[in-house]
Amino acid sequence: MPNTNKPKVGFYNFSGCAGCLLTILNCEDTLLDIFNGGDVVSFLMAKSDNTEKELDIAFLDGSITTNEQEEFLIDIRARTKKIVCLGVCSSYGGVQAMEYEKDAKRSDSHTWQKRFKKVYGTKPFEVVKAFESRPVDAFVKVDYFLPGCPIDAEQFLYNYARLLRGLPVDAPKTPVCLECKWRENECLLLKNIMCLGPVTASGCKARCPSVNLPCVGCFGPADEGNLTSEFNLLKEKKYTFTEIERKLRLFGGVKFVKNFKSLWKKAQK
Amino acid sequence: MEKSTKVNQIRIPALARVEGHGNILVEFAKGKVKTVNLNIPEGPRLFETLVIGKTPEEVVNIVPRICAICSVSHRYAAIRALERALDIKETKVTNLLRTLMHYGEMIESHSLHAFVLALPDFLGYPSAIAMVDKFAPQVLKALRLKKFGNYIMEIVTARWTHGENPTVGGFGSAPTHAQLLDIKKQAEELIPVAEELVELMRNLHYPTSMEDGMVFMCLKPPTEKYGFVGDKVLISTGEEHPIEKYKELCNERIVAHSTAKRCCYNDKPFVVGALARMNLLGERLHGKASQCFKRCYSLSWIRNPLYGNLAQAIETLFCLEQTPKLIDELLKKEKTLASETSIKKPDTKTGKNVGAVEAPRGTLYHYYELNRGLVTNANLIIPTTQNLDAMETHIRIAAQNLIASTIGEGGQVTPLTPQGRKNLELILEMIVRSYDPCISCSVHVVEMQG
Repeated sequence: MPNTNKPKVGFYNFSGCAGCLLTILNCEDTLLDIFNGGDVVSFLMAKSDNTEKELDIAFLDGSITTNEQEEFLIDIRARTKKIVCLGVCSSYGGVQAMEYEKDAKRSDSHTWQKRFKKVYGTKPFEVVKAFESRPVDAFVKVDYFLPGCPIDAEQFLYNYARLLRGLPVDAPKTPVCLECKWRENECLLLKNIMCLGPVTASGCKARCPSVNLPCVGCFGPADEGNLTSEFNLLKEKKYTFTEIERKLRLFGGVKFVKNFKSLWKKAQK
Repeated sequence: MEKSTKVNQIRIPALARVEGHGNILVEFAKGKVKTVNLNIPEGPRLFETLVIGKTPEEVVNIVPRICAICSVSHRYAAIRALERALDIKETKVTNLLRTLMHYGEMIESHSLHAFVLALPDFLGYPSAIAMVDKFAPQVLKALRLKKFGNYIMEIVTARWTHGENPTVGGFGSAPTHAQLLDIKKQAEELIPVAEELVELMRNLHYPTSMEDGMVFMCLKPPTEKYGFVGDKVLISTGEEHPIEKYKELCNERIVAHSTAKRCCYNDKPFVVGALARMNLLGERLHGKASQCFKRCYSLSWIRNPLYGNLAQAIETLFCLEQTPKLIDELLKKEKTLASETSIKKPDTKTGKNVGAVEAPRGTLYHYYELNRGLVTNANLIIPTTQNLDAMETHIRIAAQNLIASTIGEGGQVTPLTPQGRKNLELILEMIVRSYDPCISCSVHVVEMQG
């Protein structure tokens, strides 16, 4: 029901699996409240009666991989007060950015152009101009990030309610290890298993270590994670640099690669 | 992109209530359809190249991210392919637990699609949310079913979407006795709810303007029962092929107006998904699902893709009916549940093979080659890509039939009225939606070049 007093909200999907928007649709018990709490003017995945106009809050799922998406993103930014990136794709580039800035001189070079040709051949596309996945903040200013692959529903609902009241997003800065300790799991690193818990943002309730599997880093880099320490620990445990880098790149996207670069240079010496 | 008001053009700029990005362009002249393009401008993510150089476990972390709505199916197809490649034998109990997670995804995905995304078209609403004023009990029931599907995935895979618990060789951890009993109890309670929603879907008016004979394909279950996994493909022409022939069955090609590739079999479009499974395997159903199938089935099911929605509703009921039986079997093995589902490591690190499962929207093939523990080549063929040619065919027929109605006896063409145009646009959207397309999936169907 249109209500002019409610904040105007839009939900948008760029390149990704749509899992973050699906997580919102998966809030079956609160779905009607989500649509009633704000005036949801655009949510293409959920409804047909969408309008594109000025917004108080835009939630963006997916990374930017085509010129059309870039143009649409700039359009959304121009008419939106607060932009919130949902998930590791819009926040950091997502799994599709795992090869970002890999050294082109290396023999296993896996540059985007080479990979694109491998998949689609050399025939030009009529439909879009595509490029390597980049996060939203590579193009426009982002107000808040709520990472995850996908986002956590409780974290979304808590922050959705905050945003509707004009409060800022409150996303955890601590690593997965904190939540893992709360669940009293035995530390997998002590068993020499490569777990990314110490450097990955929490919010997932330490799901993977709780089923005896290592954290794969799907919430992206934790602000308070100590990457150098994790790196040295894994080296001590006889993991090779290649193995560590490969694992960190899976979900860390552009942000991890940036954090990683200085470390990588030191390690090469 | 705006909707077109040009006399000779219908343009649906952004398909709503589907996963991903697609648009439709239909052009006609002198009362005849000239062009039909189902455009897919989705951004490419190049998954087939992302898995190169990764371990089997990492592949299983990566590939579900192709698509959230079929993430369990992607994980399952990858696991099957990798286990076949590395000669890991799936234990009986692991198979049961994997079947349970697969039912969870079917229930969630089908309930979302049939009752939340597709149903509003038939009742004249822009969304399920807008239906709440008049159809609140039905919407809430649909959401209850959907929630239960998610609950199964939460318990078995460790999350609604992209749960990492199922991996190559088994599960990180098995559900508890209490959790299994709770799933069983809820499934039993929800059977009448699903039956009611099947009835609702059965009594809808199904437009016929797009009807045309279809060729169906689905996996052949290894037993005489209805199911979603197999190593052979059944075709409605009567043929049967091993999944190793997936390339010949799908014949992928690139078209200029789409970042998704296209498939055809013997130069003809074919259809995969719930409608294909019901047409090919419906006789294998038992219990209430079988009764519903017999009550609903007609020859229109081989000509009209809109019945895909009803087929999904019946499959939802099937999964709910099977879940308690599955849990009884799991509970019989309770003592060995943890050990039998624990992760089995392969003896070899080199091999290649294909694995397939039925995703909610159709047959999903994964193929991997491994050398010394790392993937060297991969190929993924996704259901939506297999359906795109059929979607365009039905769009063309619907458009042609509706345009033909504007030609007078003397051959003069009256332009489409605004209402006629609106009706046509709705039908075209309904056709695409009935295939439950997963467009972000479809963009990753690729055969590596050279």
